[in-house]
Amino acid sequence: MPIGLLITRRVLLVVPLLVAILLFTFLLVRIGGQDPVGLLAGPTATQAEIEMIRAQLALDQPIWVQFGVYFGKVLQGDLGSSWLSNRPILTELLERAPATFELLFWGVLIGAGIGIPVGLRAAFRPDGAFDQASRFLSLLGFSIPTYWLGLVMLFVFFFLLEWAPPGMGRLSLFLEQPPAVTGSYLIDGLIAAQWDVASSAFAQLVLPVFCVAIISAAPIIKQTRAIALEVLSSDYIRYARAQGLPQHEVRRMALRNSTTPIVTFVGTELTGLVGTTSLIEYVFAWGGMGQYGLSAIIQNDFAAIQGYVLVLALFSVLVFLLVDVIVMLTEPRAGARA
Amino acid sequence: MALERRDLLLGTAALAAGSALSAPAVHAQGAGRTLILAAPGAPEGFDGDALRPGTQEVVVQCYEGLTRYGRVIRDGRPYLNPDVIEGHLAESWTTSPDGKTWVFRLRQGIRSPFGNELTAEDVEWSWAKSFAQRRTGAFIANVSNVTAVKALNRYDVEFTLSAPSMILLAALTLYVPGIYDSTEAKKHATADDPWALRWMETNTAGYGAYHVESVRAGEQAVIVANRNYFREQPHFQRVIYRAVPSAASRITLLRSGQVQWIHRPLLQQVAELRSAPRVKTEDSFGRTIASIRMNMGIAPFTDRRVRQAFNFAVDRQALIQGVFFGLAEPARSIVPPIVAGYDPSFFNYDYNPQRARQLLQEANFDFNQQIDILYSQIFNWEEPMSIQVASQLQQIGVRARATRITDSDMRARGAPARQDMPMFSFEDGPIVLDPVYSNFLLTHSRGVSNRARFANPQVDAAIDEARQSLDPARRIELMRTVQRIWMEEAPWIVTAYPTVWEAMAPNIVGWCPHPDDHERWYDLRVG
Amino acid sequence: MSDAALPAARPALGPRWLRRVIGISRRSPTLAIGAAILLCFAALAIVAPWLVPHDPIAANPRNVLAAPGGAHLMGTDGNGMDVFSRVLAGAAWAFGIAIPAVIVGLVVGVPLGLYTGYKGGWADEIIMRVFDALRVFPSIILALAVVAAAGPLLLNVVLVIGFLDSPVFARVVRAEVLALRNSTFVESAIAAGNPTWRILFVHILPNAIQGAMAQSAVRAAWAVRISATLAFLGVGIQPPTPEWGAMIRQGAEYLVTGQWWVGIFPGIALILMVLGLNMLGDGLQDLLDPRRKAASK
Repeated sequence: MPIGLLITRRVLLVVPLLVAILLFTFLLVRIGGQDPVGLLAGPTATQAEIEMIRAQLALDQPIWVQFGVYFGKVLQGDLGSSWLSNRPILTELLERAPATFELLFWGVLIGAGIGIPVGLRAAFRPDGAFDQASRFLSLLGFSIPTYWLGLVMLFVFFFLLEWAPPGMGRLSLFLEQPPAVTGSYLIDGLIAAQWDVASSAFAQLVLPVFCVAIISAAPIIKQTRAIALEVLSSDYIRYARAQGLPQHEVRRMALRNSTTPIVTFVGTELTGLVGTTSLIEYVFAWGGMGQYGLSAIIQNDFAAIQGYVLVLALFSVLVFLLVDVIVMLTEPRAGARA
Repeated sequence: MALERRDLLLGTAALAAGSALSAPAVHAQGAGRTLILAAPGAPEGFDGDALRPGTQEVVVQCYEGLTRYGRVIRDGRPYLNPDVIEGHLAESWTTSPDGKTWVFRLRQGIRSPFGNELTAEDVEWSWAKSFAQRRTGAFIANVSNVTAVKALNRYDVEFTLSAPSMILLAALTLYVPGIYDSTEAKKHATADDPWALRWMETNTAGYGAYHVESVRAGEQAVIVANRNYFREQPHFQRVIYRAVPSAASRITLLRSGQVQWIHRPLLQQVAELRSAPRVKTEDSFGRTIASIRMNMGIAPFTDRRVRQAFNFAVDRQALIQGVFFGLAEPARSIVPPIVAGYDPSFFNYDYNPQRARQLLQEANFDFNQQIDILYSQIFNWEEPMSIQVASQLQQIGVRARATRITDSDMRARGAPARQDMPMFSFEDGPIVLDPVYSNFLLTHSRGVSNRARFANPQVDAAIDEARQSLDPARRIELMRTVQRIWMEEAPWIVTAYPTVWEAMAPNIVGWCPHPDDHERWYDLRVG
Repeated sequence: MSDAALPAARPALGPRWLRRVIGISRRSPTLAIGAAILLCFAALAIVAPWLVPHDPIAANPRNVLAAPGGAHLMGTDGNGMDVFSRVLAGAAWAFGIAIPAVIVGLVVGVPLGLYTGYKGGWADEIIMRVFDALRVFPSIILALAVVAAAGPLLLNVVLVIGFLDSPVFARVVRAEVLALRNSTFVESAIAAGNPTWRILFVHILPNAIQGAMAQSAVRAAWAVRISATLAFLGVGIQPPTPEWGAMIRQGAEYLVTGQWWVGIFPGIALILMVLGLNMLGDGLQDLLDPRRKAASK
């Protein structure tokens, strides 16, 4: 199936999904019966003012009308404004997106960079010492709470050893952001030859990226091992072995056949990692979308929650789509499965 | 023991940690001297009438009042003298014999950062704005009995009052209603935003010592000195107000010299900070009361004996030790000790669990009912205090439990229109050091910070009379009555006045505590 | 499931169950260690009320933030409560959340999986699509949003976790059912005139349940983790309940100022218990089919 058609089909399927997610979130945040008007009107507001604000925000209309109004605005790109900061949510999310993506990018890169080779090596010698050790470590990675890891890292490396800077954002207080090219302070700092900015950005990145890497490595090790094992015991490989192909050739074949499922897996892991990363962002005051979303949910900022969830869903959908496209391109045989 | 009010105002010992000046306290960035400050969040707007987090801290620097308090120096530290009120933006004033008309003569040559001169027109516009918004500014106007403000000529402005008021001069020291450069503000007004409120979300236009230069939402604001300021230029020409959400991070930044000022450090760290070589801490008596409030209109708190019993059941000393690490004064009146007319003699709720149980039994208290103490995260003592009080109540057999609600819920439900929480924690205090103001705010049935539907006709009558009285002795007597009745009614479990702490770089001097708990950057300098 | 082959050289030592346990331990040390850890925690949880040196929720304002040592093995927290007692009591809470949550997940997910796997068609399509849609969310965000909206009650936490677990169980069971649907013994059961529900629950379920059972341990691990995360963010179980996540929440404030014991000890307990559950689940999955790692999350 040609790529264009695949993408179109996917997009068409996804739109009702997104609408459903939007509706679901919209209804969800209103379960608790919170009344935001009190917050907006301020402590000295009279009853008349409260009613006025309520009407202004269309909060006195039935829920379906409210959703309709909201949905209409979303289609025009207006996600509404945060009740706490009074700024447009789309703007706030876009401002924070580079921070999240940078953390995700480096974290998953390193996590996969560690996880995939370890998983492969474990698969090549199953039940050996390396395998046992890596499986244990992987299980450990599954068991450590992300936020606790972040806190302990801060305690050890910042409070005790004083090697790391305090967990308060992406850049030291003193420095100005470098001119934006990629959105990553580290890369932009290097591009602009601002070495102090780049080194500060790097220092701030170390601990949170380390945490994300550890947490993301665990499932990658496990799944890579499983995939590689499966490939190694497939008929194709068995036949090649029976033919007398040397070990490293066999391994190369196994690797090639494993690539697609591994890539697919990492892609799907990415969507789950967004949730984990938001906890890291929270602990390190990273200033990314995840921290924003968590705060919004905790403080019941309806519109911000809806916006955040929508962006998350969009991101996941995009990732799935991208993964499928990659699969399509690298393995035309699998194209029939769409 | 009668506490001398003056002594308390002048504060307990200011502990300056000595020795090494290892951290350069001031980093010159660009031209002039810069002060870097870390706060929980960046300011979210600069309209004094519509308080948002961070607003007050900056607005008090940029908008100054017609009057100001006098100052004294004690032990090398400056303090406000609430008995003396001087002219500030106004140079003099006159009152009509019946006390209902005041005319203020403005100083000439006061200019805003935009170059416009202060005129009576500005004052009229500013008060009209507060009246129109019907928020904090309007409340202040109401408390001082002001009904109209009119410009008579270029430099004279007339205040019309519904009744004489001794609060007016003190109220005029406040940052709200702010005195705006209306010429500049009007440029940004539109048909549906006649007061330029939208523009004020990111800008200031006042006659004070400072002026907002830039804002990076959620991150920081840069505030610079007003070059046209009518008094001597401040030492710190630039202030960077930086958002650092974690309290622990703020302290670390201070210790490492990366910031020079933090407000309200975590109490558990104050003890440590006091001995830290690269940090100086100063304290001042608190004027806000941290308390657990009971709503008289909701059972079982309709019965006074229950409320009194709960007051007997609480061990305040233990609370101060466990929640405030000893850094608070026990509260003996709804009026803060630093305010004239403070009378602690009506407090007799020393820790007495037996008496508490006895009162509850007399009141036929249902020991099986669940009592929820609602708390939020607005103030960081709320959770530990609520848990401790619940525990102490449990010890006399009450099924008490601390329950958390969101910050916005806490504010909304305590608003005058609602006030529907049976029992909850909150912190409030008067920003005008006047007993009538304090009581109007906290104990009057229409008080904005009442939050718990306390309503007593005698109290209301006493406050209303005092608001119009010009007889100081009578006012004090009326306020004593209020304190007596209030303490008998025991609508709150009064606990403590937390001490106000500021932590700063070791070579910053000049901090003068203000009743609104905000330092004035104008006062600070390297010394 | 093939029997463990006992080494022939040894004489049969001890009762049969012990031999089976040893045999299984040899084949999957992960399973053995995991089970051992879990048994320890279960034992602690049960005897905690008698074992704790202090009342876990006794607030003591005069002894706040005491360092470990003396009367308080792990120190006291911000309310003066003994950390060691709270960590022990927390084990009971962890079980108290994980077990009901997994049960809810099974009760909802297994019948769903059975039905959709067997019947197929419209219902299957729709339900699978809904589950796919749920996968688009990071589950922590979904759990957080629901509990934040619905309120920090234990019931809400258990129900949310249970419902989020059900797609996993449903998928696992469904896969089994699809494989079994066309097998001869099922066909003969149909031919014999059995009603659908009987076929599902009497004939298919016992065979399909294995995968779900193995998943239970993993889902229990997740339940403990998620409830701790929710409590950490302030949305789940509230203080002064001795839930590990709530303790870490308070500990976070003190961790960066030097009072490390408040947050570190509950974290270690949490890690150990979750690790135990994960090892147990991993070992079970190994035993059932070493090559089939259920890709379901």
